[in-house]
Amino acid sequence: MKPGRLLAWGGLAALAWLARGLVLPLFLAAALAYLLSPAVAWADALAIRRSVAVSALFAGIIAVLVTVGFLLGPGMLAEGGALVDRLPALARQIDVGLDAVVRELAESAPALRRLLPEGGGWVQRFVLNRGPSEPGDLFEHVGHLFLLAILIPFFAFFLLRDMHRLIAVAMDRLPPQHVETSVAVWRELNGVIGRYIRGLVLDGLVVGALAALGLWAAGVPYPLLLGAFAGLANVVPFVGPLLSAAAAGLVVVLTPGQGLAGVGRVVLLFLAIKVLDDTIIQPFTIGRSVHLHPALLLGSVVVGSHALGVLGMIIAVPVATVLQETARLLLEHRRVLARRDLRHDPKRLVV
Amino acid sequence: MFERPLPRWLAWAADPEQLQRAPFLARSPLFAGLPRRLLGRLATRFFEKVYHPGEIVFEEGDPGRALFVVVEGTVEITRATAQGPYVLNTLGPGDAFGELALIDDFPRSATARVATPGRLLILYKSDFDALMEGNSRIALVVLRNLSRRLAIYARRKPVVATEPDPERAGPL
Repeated sequence: MKPGRLLAWGGLAALAWLARGLVLPLFLAAALAYLLSPAVAWADALAIRRSVAVSALFAGIIAVLVTVGFLLGPGMLAEGGALVDRLPALARQIDVGLDAVVRELAESAPALRRLLPEGGGWVQRFVLNRGPSEPGDLFEHVGHLFLLAILIPFFAFFLLRDMHRLIAVAMDRLPPQHVETSVAVWRELNGVIGRYIRGLVLDGLVVGALAALGLWAAGVPYPLLLGAFAGLANVVPFVGPLLSAAAAGLVVVLTPGQGLAGVGRVVLLFLAIKVLDDTIIQPFTIGRSVHLHPALLLGSVVVGSHALGVLGMIIAVPVATVLQETARLLLEHRRVLARRDLRHDPKRLVV
Repeated sequence: MFERPLPRWLAWAADPEQLQRAPFLARSPLFAGLPRRLLGRLATRFFEKVYHPGEIVFEEGDPGRALFVVVEGTVEITRATAQGPYVLNTLGPGDAFGELALIDDFPRSATARVATPGRLLILYKSDFDALMEGNSRIALVVLRNLSRRLAIYARRKPVVATEPDPERAGPL
């Protein structure tokens, strides 16, 4: 490799390293752009300029968010405030229960004593006392969230507005003979990712709404917060529904007057939502965008969680699907080329 | 005359490229009979690429994954023979080629080479399939037009020839 080219690659790598903090906002912006792309395609079909369509779309989203904020915001803020106020008392209540269980275990099976954690008040120590200790930390967290809230729509806006131009530039750089196959592979993957992301969000919305309605009907406190959590957690395969059911169960256990019957109702509700999701909602929302074998699905989620934590679990399924689809398309391409070579083989004519 | 999709007071927001593309596609025999609304949706799925003379669009035996429509310039469709490439057809603006890629997975039956500087519109099979899923009317019209083209080639008198006959150059 020539020294100039080596230097250029080195400079690019250094730049990529410096800009690594932009990976998460870019990833989330791409997901947002996939989510909104059908609306832009609809405007394209009406021959509306991209810049006008995307600007109008973002103005519409801001209007919807403000309206939803006005409608649901006060309720959610009240629930959140009440939960925060009750949090120290709830933590003490959980700790008392946990301490009792540990003591009981230690008395009934002295051999386990060494394995059991010492001390008490785990929830207070590990959850409540882990908040930002310094005012500087708090500002850093808030600043980071604020930056994400600005960067994600900013990148999504330009992705939606200029993606077709970027594709045109890339197509002009590709050797003409390879344009058909290489862009075809990208178009197929683009379709799979788009359908998956839009399906996942729609699925989360339906599951969240069902959970909120069900919890409200069952008389469980904080139905809006728990429903929102169930919808958000739903994007994490396998673990998400378990976490949302556990959170709702915990709230029921700690609510006076709910008892075991309340826990049973919550378990039944989340079981019914899961069955409904797997059999009716997902086939309509995510549908045929994912063709992964269940074992591969589980494996990808485990690998994703080890590599990138919760984010890895969320992106594991689309990444595994993209890898599987790429391998399938490349194998198909090789098979067609082999068929062509066989047809042009002079020995074959003799045979 | 092709109907304007936007009212006059919204003319400033119109995309001139899309405004031209849909009526252009309406003139192509493959998309004849599609209503304006569906032509508009179809037009958004096309990619445009500039080609230079001598550049190969695809080669005989390549996997077929897209349909091409000539916007500008000319494209030669050739087939390899023992004596060298044989020109089956020369296509100009409005002509479509590679249309069989939209309905099957067989390799290309001929080579497409750009003869004069031009622009091509490219429609990928995956995009066409996605469009058909939501609009059976598009599938019906395009496949009916394609069947007509295939029927015309099939009805031609069989000719025994050692060289490919340009008159028998069918869809690719």
